[in-house]
Amino acid sequence: MFKTRFMKVLVTGATGYVGHNLAMALAKIGNIVHVLVRNTNSEFIPKHPLIKVFEGDITKKETILPAIENCETVFHTAALVRARRTKPTDFFDINVEGTRNMLEAAAQAGVKKFVYTSTAGVIGSSLKKDMREDDPRVIGFNTDYELSKFLAEKLVKEYASLGLHTVIAVATKVFGPGLDTHPQISINSVIRRYITSPISFSPLPAYYVSNYVFIDDLVQGHLLLAAKGRKGEKYILGGENISYRDFFKKLRLISGIKRIVLPIPQWIAAIFGAMHFILYKIKGKDPYYDSKAASLIYCNKSFTSDKAKNELGYVITPFTIALKQTIRSFIIESYAKQNIHADYRVQ
Amino acid sequence: MQSKIYTLITGSSEGLGKAFAIECAKRHMNLILVALPGPELSALATLIKTNFPVEVVCIPKDLCKDESCTELFTEVTVLNLQVNMLINNAGLGGTVLFEQGSPLLYEKQIRLNVLATTLITRLFLPLLQQHNNSYILNVGSLASFFCLPKKHVYGATKSFVYFFSKSLREELRNSSVQVSVLCPGGINTNPAITLMNKTGNYISRLSIMNPEEVAESALIGMFSGKEVIIPGTLNYSFMLLDKLLPAFIKKILTRITMNKLDSNNRMSRYLVPAMVTIPVPAPR
Repeated sequence: MFKTRFMKVLVTGATGYVGHNLAMALAKIGNIVHVLVRNTNSEFIPKHPLIKVFEGDITKKETILPAIENCETVFHTAALVRARRTKPTDFFDINVEGTRNMLEAAAQAGVKKFVYTSTAGVIGSSLKKDMREDDPRVIGFNTDYELSKFLAEKLVKEYASLGLHTVIAVATKVFGPGLDTHPQISINSVIRRYITSPISFSPLPAYYVSNYVFIDDLVQGHLLLAAKGRKGEKYILGGENISYRDFFKKLRLISGIKRIVLPIPQWIAAIFGAMHFILYKIKGKDPYYDSKAASLIYCNKSFTSDKAKNELGYVITPFTIALKQTIRSFIIESYAKQNIHADYRVQ
Repeated sequence: MQSKIYTLITGSSEGLGKAFAIECAKRHMNLILVALPGPELSALATLIKTNFPVEVVCIPKDLCKDESCTELFTEVTVLNLQVNMLINNAGLGGTVLFEQGSPLLYEKQIRLNVLATTLITRLFLPLLQQHNNSYILNVGSLASFFCLPKKHVYGATKSFVYFFSKSLREELRNSSVQVSVLCPGGINTNPAITLMNKTGNYISRLSIMNPEEVAESALIGMFSGKEVIIPGTLNYSFMLLDKLLPAFIKKILTRITMNKLDSNNRMSRYLVPAMVTIPVPAPR
């Protein structure tokens, strides 16, 4: 396993899924990890003797400065991730202006490496072959989230040309053991649902291919990127490309649990999305899902991580092994919650 | 041996032109892509060639410049390429108060939207006539039907395209060349435009389409022989309303819509490039 040792590092978004796992991994290999959180009482804050918690907000630059001081490397994973927001400009204020604040603070503090976590959604859907880092987008920007991440990436690249050593880590669909921070939209929630509830939903047609990255690989990729990533470059940190059909097949084989998987065509998903939207209008709680987000599911999203493999020595854990670990951890988690029959076990 | 037949698309590195290129490639049509010189054009060509079994010829060219249309035609004839379809897509938009817009912008708009469209159509018409089924698709705009503040020059150039296309279609009625004109509403062509489109009111936001949707319905419309193609149900109903409503109500409606569409774009701050000077980190 690749090991590295930094003096001091800053991780933003440590209460999110990727940031949390990254901060823990960094602390475990002996780094002093600063985490910047909005709410110091959050249950999602990673706990480790080497992790030091700073209260702050990336949208307020002055609150970043104490946390970033003397840090050699910054991992900026914080972002607003969801389908819709009552105030749509939040996506841009947090994801674009927040990143600008982070970059400015990093430049001021003399940070040596700045790793920005982005999404494969910026590259967008694929055609027949796997997409690469510099391929142009095939379709227009569907969501504010994707557009905001694109604009943030542009800023990160511009800072590289100004002299800051920035690198972009591109995550595909992330899954693995750990926190349940993004209910409804994450692959983890699909796996959790399969384990705990009698009915699951799969997109129809099921031949659409997506790329799934294991959280451990993504964390390793971030460390590799910080160590060896070339300035201003973008690296896809992905996993295997798998169709929805194979995904559910593997889920059944590995978990040993047989569930009803209802195929859902796009128009029904769009109606679900519209219902979420109406619920959101009534309840006022921002949805994770809407009809636009539904359209993101009904396309091919296949990517290649060859650049990261060749340049950084990035290694992909086979999907079957990664899924086995994930399912095992979720089954243990659901035993704890007492919502699963005791006779299910991992084969 | 029969040589390959190509579709020529101008302004094909971004937005609608890119969507046209991908949509045509999906239909296994060989492409001549004309766009501003830059890395985007070759990146698109590579993407298309790796995904579809088609030939792609790139011709980087700034069609605003004098002689560039003739140069383009010469290059195509020197390469001895057969063309049976022409998509005059290159165009320059802009939502700006007339006195705030630069004279250079207006000159470019007229050169690109009017002059280049006319010259390229004229130059390539003989090539198109050599084939049994040829098509010309000119890209107009919904703006050519409405008198919109802040879209004065743009709307006028697109009215030219509309008028020109319909007249030419009549003239070529008995030839092998079919002329269609596409009149789309707002399109999320590039990130800056996508951001600006978000500043409109609810109805205008709903009418915004993605380039791939527009390109698809344009090609379907063109192959089915439509004269005027208006993509999107909402845009089509705007056109119907235009015919039904009295003029003074239309004026009020366009005024409300266009005032909301912010030309100074409050979203533009998200596009501000990185500017601070960074102290070079000391070597370790």
